[in-house]
Formats: sequence, structure tokens, C-alpha cells
Amino acid sequence: MTLLRLCLNSQKPTYCYPMRPLLTLFLFLNASFCAMAAEINVYSHRHYDSDAILFAKFTKETGIKVNVIKGSADQLIQRLISEGKNSPADVLLTVDAGRLHRAKEAGILQPVQSEKLQENVPLAMRDPEGNWYGLTVRARVLVYAKGRVKPSELSTYEDLASSKWRARLTVRSSSNIYNQSLLASIIEANGAEKALDWAKAVRKNMVRAPRGSDRDQARAVASGLADVAIMNTYYLGILANSTTEADREVARKVGVFFPNQKGRGAHVNVSGGGVTSSSKNKEGAIRFLEFLTSPESQKTFGEVNYEYPVKIENNRSSLLKSWGTFKPDGVNLSILGSRNAEAVRTFDRAGWE
Amino acid sequence: MTKLLSVRGVTKAFGSGDRPAVDQVSLECQKGEILAIVGGSGSGKTTLLRIIAGLEIPDAGEIDLNGAVTNAPNAFLPPEKRDCALVFQDYALFPNMTVEQNVFFSKASKQRKLEVDKLLEQTQIAGLRKRFPHQLSGGEQQRVALVRALATQPSLLLLDEPLSHLDPELRDNVRTELLGLFKKTQTTALFVSHDTEDAMAMADRVIVMREGQAIQVGTPAEVYSKPLDRYAALLFGKTNFVPLDLIPNAPHHFQDEDSNEKVVSIRPHDWQVIERDSQSSNSAISGRVSSVRYKGTHMELKIEVETMCILANVETSHGVMEGDEMTVFPTFD
Amino acid sequence: MTFLSIFPKRVFRSLAFEFRFRLNGWTLTGLALGLLVFLPMATVLWNLSNPPENWEHLKETVLGTYLMDSLILVAGTVLLSVLAGVSCAWLVTCCDFPGQKFLEWALVLPLAVPTFIAAYGYFDLLGIIEEKMIPLVIWARTQSPENLDNVIFLLDSLKYPVTILVMASVLYPYVYLLARASFSSQGSRLIEAARTLGYKPRSVFFRVALPLARPAIVAGASLVAMETLNDYGAVKHFGVSTFTIGIFRTWLGLDDLSGALRLASLLMLFILGLLVLERALRAGAKYDESKNARLPFRRYRLGPVGSGLAILCCLVPLAFGFLFPLWRLGSWALSTYEKILDWTFFKLILHSLSLAAISALVIVSAATFLAFVGRYFKNPSIQASNRLAILGYSVPGAVVAMAVLIVSGQINLSLGVILTGSLVTLVFAYLVRFLAVAWQPIDSGMDKNCAHLNEASQSLKSTPLVSLLKVNLPLLRPSLFAAGLLVFIDIMKELPLTLILRPFNFETLSTRTYDLTSQAQIAESSVPALCIILMVILPVVWLNRKMEAKP
Repeated sequence: MTLLRLCLNSQKPTYCYPMRPLLTLFLFLNASFCAMAAEINVYSHRHYDSDAILFAKFTKETGIKVNVIKGSADQLIQRLISEGKNSPADVLLTVDAGRLHRAKEAGILQPVQSEKLQENVPLAMRDPEGNWYGLTVRARVLVYAKGRVKPSELSTYEDLASSKWRARLTVRSSSNIYNQSLLASIIEANGAEKALDWAKAVRKNMVRAPRGSDRDQARAVASGLADVAIMNTYYLGILANSTTEADREVARKVGVFFPNQKGRGAHVNVSGGGVTSSSKNKEGAIRFLEFLTSPESQKTFGEVNYEYPVKIENNRSSLLKSWGTFKPDGVNLSILGSRNAEAVRTFDRAGWE
Repeated sequence: MTKLLSVRGVTKAFGSGDRPAVDQVSLECQKGEILAIVGGSGSGKTTLLRIIAGLEIPDAGEIDLNGAVTNAPNAFLPPEKRDCALVFQDYALFPNMTVEQNVFFSKASKQRKLEVDKLLEQTQIAGLRKRFPHQLSGGEQQRVALVRALATQPSLLLLDEPLSHLDPELRDNVRTELLGLFKKTQTTALFVSHDTEDAMAMADRVIVMREGQAIQVGTPAEVYSKPLDRYAALLFGKTNFVPLDLIPNAPHHFQDEDSNEKVVSIRPHDWQVIERDSQSSNSAISGRVSSVRYKGTHMELKIEVETMCILANVETSHGVMEGDEMTVFPTFD
Repeated sequence: MTFLSIFPKRVFRSLAFEFRFRLNGWTLTGLALGLLVFLPMATVLWNLSNPPENWEHLKETVLGTYLMDSLILVAGTVLLSVLAGVSCAWLVTCCDFPGQKFLEWALVLPLAVPTFIAAYGYFDLLGIIEEKMIPLVIWARTQSPENLDNVIFLLDSLKYPVTILVMASVLYPYVYLLARASFSSQGSRLIEAARTLGYKPRSVFFRVALPLARPAIVAGASLVAMETLNDYGAVKHFGVSTFTIGIFRTWLGLDDLSGALRLASLLMLFILGLLVLERALRAGAKYDESKNARLPFRRYRLGPVGSGLAILCCLVPLAFGFLFPLWRLGSWALSTYEKILDWTFFKLILHSLSLAAISALVIVSAATFLAFVGRYFKNPSIQASNRLAILGYSVPGAVVAMAVLIVSGQINLSLGVILTGSLVTLVFAYLVRFLAVAWQPIDSGMDKNCAHLNEASQSLKSTPLVSLLKVNLPLLRPSLFAAGLLVFIDIMKELPLTLILRPFNFETLSTRTYDLTSQAQIAESSVPALCIILMVILPVVWLNRKMEAKP
């Protein structure tokens, strides 16, 4: 583009004339190159405010426009499979590592390598072959009613199966991927049979049939219907900072407990992304992922959406700090995907709807 | 004979400002009698029937049925409590029920199984029990409607145009059958018809209605030969309205509203037609034959007389031709 | 000696005649279109033959739950809808009481509220009931295990009556409309006949009017059943595991598309089986008295107590299905509209309206074309393919979307043309799902008005095009309009299909409502939700007028 301006501003000596056709050709190439570099198409399951802020920042810094199509990861993956190599998508963002693994298995992601990415994301939080990278971390913790339950009564996920919790638990539906990933990690740690027994016992200990979101489980604990619930950390942050007083009240009434600290550690999951195999703008896609894993972006995730950064120890948010440090389950998150179908089947057999 | 139905001064108007559909009508019906109400369309006969059945509420008047007051200024007995049953013009059979279910629909019929079965036999529809109405012919549907009504053992059977939906060639037979059935079951029946042949074939007494009013009551023979006005006379067929002065010793005459003179109604078949005879009696009328029409059973002549045109029927062998000068005189009983 | 010369001339002439009426541009296009629309359903049915990997597992574990929950939900919703719909229809048609004229059309209003939005209006109902039960639960924890089990069972079962109430309150108008049409068309004749045979007015209702209205009531009930099974938002929110939930879970959770489609095809067969059964049970009896002149109906005047009860009886469904949700959504909207109403929101409205309008146009045109070709050419294969093409209505919208996804995926593979994520695919999916909705009024309109006229037109040697444009279309105007409105309403309210197939950055009012709610922004979701309702009210009332105007 600048070349054009230069040429026009010049005195137009006669020798410029034969250059015209060459110029047009160059401009055309330049324009199409600019167009290619100018935007990426992102299929995202994430629907948080932090994303809109970060995407806009990315466009401002790099000039690459970000087109987002939102949907549930499952449907996005089905769409990508159906669209095949003609898909316009460049990046797939999900809220769960299991789905990323499934996307990889379906062949819709391509391996990418980059120094920055490998520096920003610890090994446990990314695909060993580089098909996907974690962007934020969320822990699946126990929340308990502060007045009725002492933290000393809580220990592990497995303990929730004991009869002392009869009619005192509430957990959301097993259709939700967070629960499926949790069970996948339990199957990995304890084996299929024990995991089935666990799921059966926990379901029996629930005070009501699984229903509603994680936040609804916290509300049930606060209201007194249940004493303990399982939920993701960032939802608690959202409750604590809600505009409605009722939600903030709920956050005050419940306490956070990180289970399995003496054992393998609390179950963690990542929200992450990968470059699609059909991407027409691989470079832009990689830059996008690098941007999201950069320390500034990681800080925004923490502040706006109460998510842990991929390097948990880098956490700057005071709210997250107030919950304490914890030991995360160190298993590679790919297993959340590879054991996902088994987890669903286990839930079915356990009668956990 | 006991009085079964007494209707006194019943009036009903639909909408204000129009003439009433039924205007101060009174009638009586004896037990075992078959009464016909005849009239053209708009004469109010169907409305009167529906009022007797309890499906319309009159504006004024009283009705007693079988000792019970059904209509009075402060009283109204709903149709389901009246001791009468109505056979509708279009039969109103329940299309989703079989013949059997239709016939045994009423509560009363369920307690009279044997009698109702006999009725089905008598009307020859017992074999159609399991059929649905749309699978029956018009005549069969009518019989089902009839048996359904009779199954309630009503004191009074009301029929709205019972034969109008039947093929013309069937009507005569059906009239005979109906009459036979009524007599055998000793039914008191009141039916409405625009076809006076029904009345003449089946009724003991006839009521002629016009524009909401009952203008004549009598046996069919009486109304036929001694009508009280033009309308009643014409209702029963073609007739001649001859001024009384032309036939002074006529046994019956009436005051004609249109011409405001006394006229005698003489039916076409009540004339004797002979060759012009200047020496005939007082009642003879002479004129010229203007048309001769062959009608199968008779010949219909039109004879031009000074002031009018006379219709006369003669046997087919008569030999009269157009243009002949003929003399007619009435044959009185 | 050519092959053709074996046939005598006579045979040729009859073959030509055959050719004209069996195979020509019209019939071939009609056949192709019908089969194309059937293709996704064929994909679903085809999966019946494929033993999916998880089928044994599904049978052993969750199939029973899906069946049970679906049956309970459908049975309860149908029962409640029939109760409300029939009683209101009877009161409004046959009785005279103050407010009757208003209620006659107002009772249809809940049709403007989609089931998932009704669920959002009552989103905390189950929670509130549960909170009331807390003391009971706390007490039960101290009791024996059996008692505790019973209380927990009770708590678990609460979701059924709540979901049934919410669904029935917005689905009863289907029964109401059809029952009302039946009652008013029965005319007074049969009622009078029953009264002269000794039945009091109340008994007349149960012995005559109700049995006569049976086909209409059953048709309404089957619509209610299908809409119940189609719902995704409400059952997800209240935690009822219907077939639709199961289909999603198998597809996405177990990553087993063919398993999901097998469930869908079972569902489809089940629904079709029900419809066939009802047809068979009806055998023989006829239900309409079309040959009877329709006399003006003489209404039964109610006294003050009766009137009060009647008004109450009619107001209850109206309140649950329309007044309360509208009030709730309205008060939320008042507090959040400033946040939501911006330029992109108006784009949203535009998207929804144009999508629904264009799809309605496409679907009505397709239905007219197919119905016309089937009748004009009297071709049995066209008539068969038409019957197949309208099957899409018997499966939930989500299933149609999945099937269309598969089909377009195949096309993508073989032709390299990318169709998924385009408006074309979305509109095609609407066509597959809603063809039946447009088909019904258009086909019956053609049946009533155009049959003999087509024959007359053929004998006058005019072309099919002329017959279609000059003879059929003008007479069909009311049917076309009704069909268009029905499809428009259904598409505006549609959710699961649109969620799965919507194109790049293309949002509709219903998808936005769902997105906001799934991010727990229920109050904000009221704004797009209200827009849907307000935009659909007018067509609903319009349609109601059309139905009432029928003699």
C-alpha cells in the first residue's frame, strides 16, 4: 500500500508507465496477502466477558480481525468434522481438555510448535504433540456450608461416597463435561470398577436429582438444602462479584476446600485452544494463541473471569489467593479426553443423570 | 278422547320489528290423534314445532302436555324433561355411533330393550344394528331416527318434515308405513310438512298456517273442499275461485281478501264439462276452450269465461278440442 | 428391424399418454424435491439397521430412563392440556357469560410463548419448592434410611409436576383450538337431538359433544405430545431425561452419532405408531356432520355462580401460560433493557424476522408445489414421496439438524461444496422439519376447493402451470396465508435446530435467549425472549381470527 502512495507522490517520470501493470499485480498480491493476514475465524465454547476484552486487544495490537462463532464444544466439533478441509475455522477454543483431545482424535486440529507457546504453557497443560494448548486453569473443588460442615470433615473426592454424606450432597448433571472429566481422572487414578462404585454412592448421597448449573449447586448449599457441593473455582468468583446481593450472600456462606491434597492433588482442567487443520491463516492463529497465553492476558483471565493462569503459581488475583494454594492433580490432561466416553458410560451405569 | 296437548296463544318473534314467526297460535291434540301442520316456507310451522318440543322459548302463550305445564308466563320445562320426542328433518343421527347405539341412546330406551327390539323388527332395520349412519340410505336413516324417538315411549311424537329428504317415488309407501306404525303403536303424532299430500294421507286433522298464524283447522277433507281463504285452498292444489254470484247455491264460500268479494273454491275435478248448452241451470258457466293438456290420468282444460279462466279436468276419452265452446257446471255432493 | 418396430402403433399412443401423466418435468421435479426433503429422515431411519457401538450399553442403562421420563412427561402434559383445552373450548363455544368474547381469542395467546422461554419464566419454581422442603429434609436425615429414601424420592419427583405444569400451560392452545373448531362446527342440531332424548345439558357434553370431538382432541393431543418431545430448553433446565436429552447426550457425550440417531428413529417410529393406532381405533365411525346445515349455535346462558366459575376456569390456563410469564419477563426486561438494546440487538431482530419470513416463503412454495403435483397428475409415486417428505415433523428439531448435518457432510466430502454453516442448510433443515405444518392446510384446501377444477382445467387442455397459477393459487389464498403464518410462528419459536445449524455469527432471538440463559443471565435474556413473544402474538391472533371465521 505504501508503495502505491510513493509512486503516486512521485513526479511520475515517463519510465513509471511500463511499471503500471507490474504495480497492479503487486498491489493485488499485497491486498490478498493483507486480507489473509487480516482475520482469523475462532470457534469458541467460551462465553466470558474476558474474551471480548482480549480479542479486541489482540486486534488492536496486531491488526488481525477476530471473528467468533460461539457454541458448545460438542456442536462446534461436529461442525468442524462435517465441514472438513473446507472449514473456515482457524482456531478452536473449548472449556475442557477432554474436548480438545476429542478434537485431536477427530483430526480437526493440527500440531503447531512455537517457542513462546512452549514457554508459556507447562507440559501437563498441553498436548505433547502440540495439537492444543491450555489457556487457563480451573479446579473442581468442594464447597461446603460454613456453619454446618467443618473443613476437617472433608478430605477427598472418594470420601464423598461414605454414608455420612447421605442426603447432603448436590452436584450438577453428568451431561456436563466438567463432571465427565472429573470422573475420567478418577477412573485413571482408581480404576473403572472403583470409579463406578464411587459414582453410584455419590449419586445415592445426593439430596436431589442432578439439575442446574454449578452456581445452582452453591445456592443449594447456602440455602440449607445440601451441605456439600462440587463446583468449579471460577464460578465462585463470579458469585462473589455478582451484581445481585443474593449471589454475594451465597459466596459468603460457602467455604472452598481443595480435596486430595495428601494424595494426587485436586482435579484441574484447562480451557484451551488449538489450530484447526483446515486453517487458512496458521500464522495468525499461532499468534492468537501466543497472545492468549502471554502473562498480560493471563492476568486479565484471573481478574475478569477468576480463572487460574496456566502456570498456577503466577496467579496475581487476590480473590483466588484468598482460597489458598493447592496441589493440582499432575496427570496429563489428555487422559480426560481418552477416558471421556468411558466416564459417560460409567455415569449411565451409576444412574447419575 | 283425552286432550293430550293444549297450545294457547303462543307467540314468538325473532328480532324486534319483524313480524312474529308464530303469532297467537292455539291448537289442541287428542290422544291417539295424528295432527298435521301445513304451510309454505316462512309460515312458522317449524318454529311452532320446536316451541312445543322445548327447543325455543316463546314470548307469550301457554302449553300443557299430558297434564304437565310445559310453558307458562313464569314457567318453562326444558326439552329433556318433556314427555315428547322429536324426529328432526335431517334425522340428526349421531355419526360416531352405530344404529344400535343411536337407538338406545336415551335413558328410557335402555329400560325397554324388548319393546325397542320389536320396534326395530317392525321397521325392518334390525339387521342394520351395527352399521353407522353414513352407511345407510335416506329411508333407513329416517327409520332409525323414528325408532330412536319412539324408544323413549313419548306421549307425543313430533316430526319435522318427515318425508322431505326421501326420494319422491318412495314417499307414498313411506306414508302408508308410517301411518300403519302409528296406528299399531297407538302413537299420538304431530308432524309438520310443506307437502299437503302427507297431511291428506296420514293426518286425522290438519292445521293450516300462514305467516305465523293458524288460519284453518279441520279434517283433510274439510280443508280440501271448504278452505277458509285463497292461501289454504291453493296449498292443497289447483283450484278455481269463482265469485259466489255465478254459483249462488254453493254449499261453502269464503270472503276473499284480495278481491273483497265472496268466492267459492271449486276444484278442477269437481266440474262437469258438456257441450255448450244455453238451457243449463243457474250454476252453469259457458266459455271457449283455450287449451287442452294431456296429463296421463286426465285432460286439463282451460276455458275462457268473460272475467276469468276456469281450470277443469275431464277424462282422457272426452274428445274435447281446443276452440270448442263448452259449458261447465259444478258437481256438489 | 428395430426394437421399437415390434410395438404396434396403439401401444405407442397409450405409452405416450402414460408418459404425459407419469413422467414429465413437473412430476420428476416433484419426486426429486420430495425425496430430497426425505433424505435426512432416511438417514435417521437407516441407522436402525446399523448396530451402533453403544446400543447394548444404552439398552442396559439409560434407555429405560429416557422411555420412562418421556412417557411421564408426555402423558402428564397431554392430560393437563386436554383438561384445560377441552373445558375452555366448551365453555367458550357453548356457554354465554361475561367476558366470553374476550376469552375466546385470548386463550390462544400462550401459543406465542416457546416452551423454553416458559421454563425461564418459571425457572426458580422448582428451587422455591425445594427450599420449602428443607425442614422436611433436615428432619428426614435423622430418620430411618427408608424414610429418608422416601423423602428423597419425593424431592426427586417434584420435577415432573413442575415441568408438566410449565409445558401444559403453553401447549394447551393446540387442544383448545382444535376442540373449539370441532364444538362450533358440530352445530346445535345434535345437541338438540340429545336433549329431546332426555339428556340434561351437562350430560349432553359428555355423551355427545365430547365423543364427536374426539378426532379433534386427539389431533391436538398428538401435537402437544410432539412439541413436548421436541423441547430441549425446558427439560434440560428442570432435569427431566427425555428422549431428546438422551439423543443429545449420546451424540455429544458418547460421541456416538449413529446411537443418537437410532434413539431418534425409535422415537419417530413410536410417534408414527401412535398416530396409526388412533386411526385404526376410529375405524368406521364418521365424525363430521358436514351435510347438516350449520345453524347458529344457541348458547347456554350461565347464572352468576356459573359465570364466575367459567371465568375462573378460563383464566387459570391463560394466567399460567401467558400472563405470569409475560409479567415476569416484562419486569426483568424493564430493569435490563438498557444493557441489551443496542444496534446489534436490532440486527438480531432483523435476522430472526427475515429468516422466518424467507423460510416460510420457501416452505409454503414447496408445499404448494408438491401438493399440486400430487393432485394434478394423480401420480401414486409422487403421493408416496409427499407422505415421506412430511415425516420430518415427527422427530425433534435437534434430530433433523443432526441428520441434515450428516447429509451436508456427505455432500461436502463428495462435492467439496461446503454447505454447513450456511443459511441454505438452515433453511433446508427448516423445510425438512416444518413441511408438514404448511402441507396440512394447503393440501386440505386443495382437497376442498380445487379437485374438480383441476379436472375441468385438464379437459380444457390448459397447461399445468396455468392451472396452478390461475386456478389453484387464487382459491388457495386463505390456506396459503394460514400455512405461511403457522410456519412463521414455528420458526420464530424454534431453538434446538437453529442452535446446531446456525451460520457464522448469525444469531437469532431464540439463540440469543438461550445463550444468555446458559450463562445464567436470565434477567437479560428476558429482552430477546419478550421480543419473540411480541412478534409472534400478532400472527397468532390473526390465525385465530381465521379459524373462527370458518363457518
